[in-house]
Amino acid sequence: MEKEVLEHQLHINRRRFLTRVGMGLGGAALGSLLIPDLFGGKNIEEQVMTGLPHFAPKAKRVIYLFQNGAPSQLDLFDYKPMLQTMQGQDLPASIRMGQRLTGMTADQKQFPLACSAFQFEQYGQQRVWMSELLPYTSKIADELCVIKSMHTEAINHDPALTFFQTGAQVGNRPSMGSWLSYGLGSENKNLPAFCVLLSKGKGNGQGVYSKLWTNGFLDSVHQGVQFSSGENPVLYLNNPDGIDKADRRAMLDKLAALNEESNKSFEDPEMTSKIQQYEMAYRMQTAVPEVTDLSNEPEDIIKLYGAECMVPGTYAANCLLARKLSESGVRFIQLYHQGWDGHNNLPEELKGQCKDTDQASAALITDLKQRGLLDETLVIWGGEFGRTNYCQGTLTKENYGRDHHPRCFTIWMAGGGVKPGVYGETDEFGYNIVSNPVHVNDFHATALHLMGLDHEKLTFKHLGRRYRLTDVAGKVVSSIIA
Amino acid sequence: MALTVECAQCHDHKYDPISQKDYYQLFGFFNSSKEQGFEGDVSISKPAKTPVLVLNDEDVKSLVSFINKKDTGQLTVSVMGEADTPRTTYILKRGVYDQHGEVVQAAGLKSVMDFDTTRFPRNRLGLAKWTVNKENPVTARAFVNQLWAEFFGKGIVATTGDFGMQGNLPTHPELLDWLAVDFMDNNWDIKKLIKKIVLSATYRQSSRISAKHRNTDPENTYLSRFPRVREKAEFIRDIVLGSSGLLVKTIGGPSVKPYQPKGIWEAATSGRGVLAVYEQDHGEALYRRGLYTFIKLTAPPPGMIMFDASNRDQCEVRRLNTTTPLQALAMMNDPLVLEASRVFAQQLFTKNSSIDQKIQLAFRSIICRTPTNKQLNILSDYYQEQVKQFSSKKLDAGKTLNVGEYAQDERANKNELAALMKVIVTIYNMEEAITKT
Repeated sequence: MEKEVLEHQLHINRRRFLTRVGMGLGGAALGSLLIPDLFGGKNIEEQVMTGLPHFAPKAKRVIYLFQNGAPSQLDLFDYKPMLQTMQGQDLPASIRMGQRLTGMTADQKQFPLACSAFQFEQYGQQRVWMSELLPYTSKIADELCVIKSMHTEAINHDPALTFFQTGAQVGNRPSMGSWLSYGLGSENKNLPAFCVLLSKGKGNGQGVYSKLWTNGFLDSVHQGVQFSSGENPVLYLNNPDGIDKADRRAMLDKLAALNEESNKSFEDPEMTSKIQQYEMAYRMQTAVPEVTDLSNEPEDIIKLYGAECMVPGTYAANCLLARKLSESGVRFIQLYHQGWDGHNNLPEELKGQCKDTDQASAALITDLKQRGLLDETLVIWGGEFGRTNYCQGTLTKENYGRDHHPRCFTIWMAGGGVKPGVYGETDEFGYNIVSNPVHVNDFHATALHLMGLDHEKLTFKHLGRRYRLTDVAGKVVSSIIA
Repeated sequence: MALTVECAQCHDHKYDPISQKDYYQLFGFFNSSKEQGFEGDVSISKPAKTPVLVLNDEDVKSLVSFINKKDTGQLTVSVMGEADTPRTTYILKRGVYDQHGEVVQAAGLKSVMDFDTTRFPRNRLGLAKWTVNKENPVTARAFVNQLWAEFFGKGIVATTGDFGMQGNLPTHPELLDWLAVDFMDNNWDIKKLIKKIVLSATYRQSSRISAKHRNTDPENTYLSRFPRVREKAEFIRDIVLGSSGLLVKTIGGPSVKPYQPKGIWEAATSGRGVLAVYEQDHGEALYRRGLYTFIKLTAPPPGMIMFDASNRDQCEVRRLNTTTPLQALAMMNDPLVLEASRVFAQQLFTKNSSIDQKIQLAFRSIICRTPTNKQLNILSDYYQEQVKQFSSKKLDAGKTLNVGEYAQDERANKNELAALMKVIVTIYNMEEAITKT
């Protein structure tokens, strides 16, 4: 939508420029000030923004299924038979290697290894290990690029989430979706480029924070727009009681006339942009209810995502909504599902979490594929860090808890030019990475690359330096690109 | 100080004369504060982090009479006491917390002004004295420039947060110096400075553009006319409440929780703590100025964030100024604007005046000028159309008026009232309503 505004302003300015050329040098100077690149005087931000994308993109859109709280990789993907044989024994210091711990287990006298309570099997031609908690995801194993060697620097939720979303542990940098909106704009004039959907599981939860979808120092048009399940899917979207669509149209026409009359004395391009934003708001009032209305979905789709997808605000409903938004051209859709923070009572909680998410996550992939959209949509599933191989609290055969573990965890990606398969490996304790580590910065660099963006070139100058999503690090993991 | 000192946390500054050592010397002043760090159970919200200073009504009467204390009972404020034994301050190599380098002593930035320890003690009092010393070349300039930017949308130095090599040069250097010196000469009196700025001929100019402006100062660098600036989030609220007569002018007191869309806090919470559920206030608390709106850090008031307010994650020297469709939706549909328009219309109907006079008065109160004939015609046509729509029951006047908790006027003609309310909503949505012109 920003592009639309810019184009319109440029159009107006060009016209204005041409009419003024006849007025002599002063007019020409005005023209060049209004269109800075007209005489080749490009500033750095304009240079950044020209020539985007940097190369042919593999993916056009992203759906990021964020599992907020950090799911246990050891109970879902990273199968470690060694933990079974060493169940209850102390984590060797040679493996821990001085890793800092959270305040929740730092005072523990022992770190008894805890094997998973769940059965593992290999699935698909890729022979991907998955536990019995993922009966649906295991069926789409061959679509997935499972990265077992993710690692991060943060050890608590807030900094870790913020790091994953914005490339920095402490706040106010633009979110990944904002960077993509800034770099690539929107494909749909009637919907925001960056949408956010929230849902809650029954497990131990951690909050989410609106700073996770902040535009930071970028223009607010790149801010993530939170969709909610209430009667107003987007804040202030609905006309108040007593006002209908025709009435709104009449008001907007009057408003535009009033503004145009005022602008005769100001000639302020901001006024044009304002009128356009009101028009976009009007179009959103139609487009958003249309796209969020799930009531016309056919029976087979409801079956695919599970009956819960008809209950607004559930993870399943959000997955279905994400598909619809993505299909409508929304650049970046960010889901958050709370409840994965299994410090205690992990097996029971994890069962519930998987029951709420497994079917819909897999359905989203299947659904995108059957619509021919998977190739151009990058789907990402994962949390902010992993969980420890040792038990937090009392270990019994059936019950255990796991603390936060930043050194290795598993995420998966699908579609969008990603090569299916398993990437990276952890040691037999599931504590350290032994091959192909992927840092959060690398993850960002790779995601941007798939979208046709060079993470070193997508910059924004702020407070005296050029910022990037990957800050000063990050390497594209080319092995996982198809 | 309008310098990007934080760049030197990990390495010497790339452009400005600020070394990494300078950074940690400055840090040295704050390294010995008595803060406690982790304070236990996160589910128990406390008003302030320790160490705290507790003030009761008697203290306010006798010791700190300049405080406008509205809260009943005790007031708890975080303070920064100095530890009895100062902590050693190290340069942290590459900014990493456990990589100690050279030991340094607290000192101000050398390139700004020498920190002469015969005049300034090496503690926070010394730093304060150094900062506001008359020979310190940046503090007063940075401050007057910041205030200038508040009023004109752009500082005399456009990069308010960066007076260094990467920043802009001042457009009016003599003015900046004069204001800075005058500010210090007047004992750093902020109110006086504000008065000086807003009473200046430059501030009182019109924004109208003429051929002369186009030719000599097309970008308005030299402020040949008033620069048009969108108002800040809090002020938008103030303008709506103030012009409609709803504003409660009380100064100070605890934060308030006005109308907020449902579920903002509830959707993002972990369920723990006292702020899991939003409990909206009633009565006068609904109509306080924007700066009194309660801010939950993890879920700040959305109306404010939409209009580029800070989420308080980091200090901001300059807010963004953007135009988005969500802002349009908020101005059209936020109960704040709708209720203010209703109450304003109610008041106008208590006056013995023609409808055009009512519209004119509303327009003047909100836009701060009289409408052009064309604009008055547009609005008065709109009024007539709306009255027809309401009278013919095409639109529902009762429903339209039913917004907000402020008392309804039961005696008024509902159709006319609703029509005028909608005219006023339209005026609030004009670009000029929230743009300084």
